[in-house]
Amino acid sequence: MIATLDSNRRWRRIFLIAGGIVAAYALLAPLTSLDAAVSANVPLLADRLWFRIATIIAMFVVMATAWNIIGGITGYAAFGNVAFFGIGAYTTGMLVAKAKWPFLAALPLAPLFSAAFAALVGLPLLRLRGHYFAVASLGVGVAVGELVQNIDYGGQPLFGGASGLFLPIYSIDNRGLYFFYLMVAAAAISIAVTWWVLRSRFGYGLIAIRENEEAAAVLGVNTTAYKVAAFALAAALTGLAGGIFSQWNVFINQDNAFPIEYNVQMILMALLGGTGTVFGPAIGAVLLQLLIQFLGGSLPITFDIPFVSEAARPIVAQIILGLLLVGVVIFVPRGVIDFFGGRTRLSLSYLRRSLRETSL
Amino acid sequence: MNFRKLALLGAAVVVAAVACGGSTSPGTTTGATIVLGAPLGLTGSLTKESTLTQQGYNLWSDWINARGGIVVNNVKHPVVIKYYDDTSSANQSAVLMQKLITEDKANFLLGPYGSAATATDAAIAEQNQIPMVEANGAAQSIFNQGYKYTFGVLSPANKYLQGVLDMAATLSPKPTTIALLSADDSFSLEVADGINTYAPTKGMTVVLYKKYKNGATNLSAEVQAAKAANADIVLNSGHLQEAIAINKAAKEQKLNAKIFAYSVGPSTPDFITALAADANYVYDGSQWTPQVKYTPAFYLSVADYVAAYKAKYPGLGDPDYHVAESTAACLALQRAIENAGSLDPKKVRDALAALDVTVFFGQIKFDSRGLNIYKPMVVEQIQNGVHHTVFPANVADAKPMYPTPSWDQR
Amino acid sequence: MANFVQLVILGLLAGGVYVAVGVGFGLVWGVLNIVNLAHGALVIVGAYITWQLFTALHLDPFLTLPVDAVALFVLGYALQRGVINRIIRAPLLFTFLLTFGLNLVIINILLLIFGSDFRSVTPTYSGQGLEFGSVVIPYVSLTSLGAAILLAAALAFVLNRTRIGLAINAIAADRDAAQLVGIDLRHAYAVTFGLGAACAGVAGGLIAMTQAITPTAGEPYTLQAFVVVILGGLGRVSATVVGGLAFGLVEAFGQSIPGSGSVFANAIAFGLMVLVLVTRPQGLMGRLR
Repeated sequence: MIATLDSNRRWRRIFLIAGGIVAAYALLAPLTSLDAAVSANVPLLADRLWFRIATIIAMFVVMATAWNIIGGITGYAAFGNVAFFGIGAYTTGMLVAKAKWPFLAALPLAPLFSAAFAALVGLPLLRLRGHYFAVASLGVGVAVGELVQNIDYGGQPLFGGASGLFLPIYSIDNRGLYFFYLMVAAAAISIAVTWWVLRSRFGYGLIAIRENEEAAAVLGVNTTAYKVAAFALAAALTGLAGGIFSQWNVFINQDNAFPIEYNVQMILMALLGGTGTVFGPAIGAVLLQLLIQFLGGSLPITFDIPFVSEAARPIVAQIILGLLLVGVVIFVPRGVIDFFGGRTRLSLSYLRRSLRETSL
Repeated sequence: MNFRKLALLGAAVVVAAVACGGSTSPGTTTGATIVLGAPLGLTGSLTKESTLTQQGYNLWSDWINARGGIVVNNVKHPVVIKYYDDTSSANQSAVLMQKLITEDKANFLLGPYGSAATATDAAIAEQNQIPMVEANGAAQSIFNQGYKYTFGVLSPANKYLQGVLDMAATLSPKPTTIALLSADDSFSLEVADGINTYAPTKGMTVVLYKKYKNGATNLSAEVQAAKAANADIVLNSGHLQEAIAINKAAKEQKLNAKIFAYSVGPSTPDFITALAADANYVYDGSQWTPQVKYTPAFYLSVADYVAAYKAKYPGLGDPDYHVAESTAACLALQRAIENAGSLDPKKVRDALAALDVTVFFGQIKFDSRGLNIYKPMVVEQIQNGVHHTVFPANVADAKPMYPTPSWDQR
Repeated sequence: MANFVQLVILGLLAGGVYVAVGVGFGLVWGVLNIVNLAHGALVIVGAYITWQLFTALHLDPFLTLPVDAVALFVLGYALQRGVINRIIRAPLLFTFLLTFGLNLVIINILLLIFGSDFRSVTPTYSGQGLEFGSVVIPYVSLTSLGAAILLAAALAFVLNRTRIGLAINAIAADRDAAQLVGIDLRHAYAVTFGLGAACAGVAGGLIAMTQAITPTAGEPYTLQAFVVVILGGLGRVSATVVGGLAFGLVEAFGQSIPGSGSVFANAIAFGLMVLVLVTRPQGLMGRLR
């Protein structure tokens, strides 16, 4: 018994150290692209592709962690959070492109507007439960995207319409580096906020709502206020990611600011990593996004699928992705954070156990 | 599997990935092979069109490599086109574009399919200062951003249906009223705006202008409105799926007009196979048809191009204009490289800006924004299940069958 | 006036397809608590089967509908029994994600088999219809509406008058109690999903006649199924029928708004759905569960 506890603790320590090393590398390697480093003959460890992928990963860390607040901790599985991403993106986008604000001045308004919108729709929406809430939030997510694209004012599209919004290319040196660290900062803020929430009275209230909402109300938790606050918090963080995205990508329209598939991806990431935990969604975001990029061929590692022709390869890669998703949902329902914590081992008996727990 | 091994494997993969990512050094390739990068939507909603684009690119790369490659200062440089699947997502296209530039050391870039992806990729091309020649993103908003490194060989969106009005003006009795239906994506809206501004100059009035949701499958209400408008000309600015839906609804609801013209759709063989006899009499504005009579300065003639397409992709009928314009993009790049006498991106960019050459596709010349406003659109009509070019007269191989008989009389 | 009548007719006729798309989706959601994000993909599978039979054997598309139903029933049964049953006892979220993965797999398998070309089924009588003055009732749409109503009636019959149907109702009422009285849950669940898939298959056969199909053409139908089921209300087939017809009417009149009105079609549909959820979650006719 004691031996297992010790070995668990040992594993946890190993994972923490390994994780720390990887994280440190990921965060410091980009500095090798600075001019000062190049002239000091430091080998280049991160190029522009690295920046692009890493920034996307960081973006998903923000979104998955934010979703976790309303979905994982509070237990209200919102299915339309991409609406807040888009609202954040368009807020910053409109201010920079049309009102000519400087980017850093426009950025803080993105989380503000998203949170305000979330509070507004959250009041009626959060009265619903389970599937109904999920579907209603999906509906809101789709509707917002449609409205933003199509609303006209004085005969012209108000938000850039179908041709989208073009922002001026941000003129600084080391643009890739800059946006990477900006997105990482947002990710750090999200994780810190989650950590704080889980240790605060607010967080206990949310968990109480998740476990048994009626009991929580009876115990004096103002469930409406707490739920709306959690929803607004998740929206603010997601909106922040959107705001950064708009300037980084230079171009936003309905397709890339309100992509429906992001809704599923952020939930899947939180699930994969472990809902309700601090680092779970972040780990899930890194793993899933790396997998998606790997299968999409954008990582510097290439792979070959045997017996498949060149033309069919991308299609088969998508099938593999779908099958992997199905597999993860079936066999790893509590997320991989359990493994990283050293509490469980990935083994056949674990897989069999999870299967038995959830199957009919 | 023992999880310890899994963990070590995972760590090794991550480290290897990052290391691979970092170990390549920036800089242009001076080796013998020219690498062209092309992210396309090979899966997802844009698969069909992206496949046509890929066919166009491949036809050219086969031809140029059979000749040993592009000649620069008496050195032959074989060509490799590196494709990636962006799953029809513009955001993913951006990542792949960056990979093509950074990892695959693409010398130059070929455009993706679709205006959204083209807009995002144009920004990346601009930031990395690598010329991108595209053939499948006709929205003018991309070219109004002041980008210097993006060039589009296709005629801009607003011209798509203007040729139909030009043709209509020559017919008798001259049609004067137009019912215009348009999808709400940026390309279709530009086509529609092109009609709204052009119609009065031809003495025609747009009596109905209805926009609908891009990708809508049920357009009976729009067709009903067009029927109530009782116009001489019915125009649709949209895509293949909507063109088919509108045509079917027009027959069902007895919408008759002297001219039915759709911006995209009728030029693809799928339109004819899907609608059988109902496809007859439909016109479309096309970037290119196999009947045009341009005299090429280099590469294949029109007839040889069609033959080459049928040889490489048998059973698909004639190449449609998506294939042809994609090949034209490659030709523009090739000629610009030859004119520049160098593989330096800036020199090639300048050569592209100064380019003026006629190929099987038509004249390729770019205005100051990078758009090819010099090539005219042609008008086709489906007659007895076969495409015919009907306008302008100097490239036409048949006369328009005008007016379109009512559905009851067919 | 004639225009108004025509719009009403067009709305009802289009509603036929929505009914067919919605009943299967609603059955699976109402009884199994599964929100099937792969529903649109199953519809397209049905469409391809109809198209294949039409092109290869020149079978009238309406005659292929039973084939669609049977084939999709088998597919649905296998999927539920083999895959989806594994996460029934997991939180609701998991079915969203699982069916999302299945959606990806099905669409890309279709892409491998059929390629991305657009296909459509155009029978010889396509475009013809009954005419009353300037009002037209196309044959294809009319028969589609009839087929959809027949489908809903058949489904209601199965659910209310057969043993397996009663077993399904029992499960919907109380899953564990149903198991206690000896109902084989695995089989009953699989039959339910199979029935839902069969309805999707029939819907697919219907849409193959009205539009062009390609592997990714199913996405809008999943979203529409949401709206139809919420509008009508979960719980009874008749509720979904009302929801489907209502949605057809909303769409027809929404799209006839002059100018750019119909670009808001999706926004209106989803806004309406959210409104219904928030104010009257049981829908126009359903029971609150």
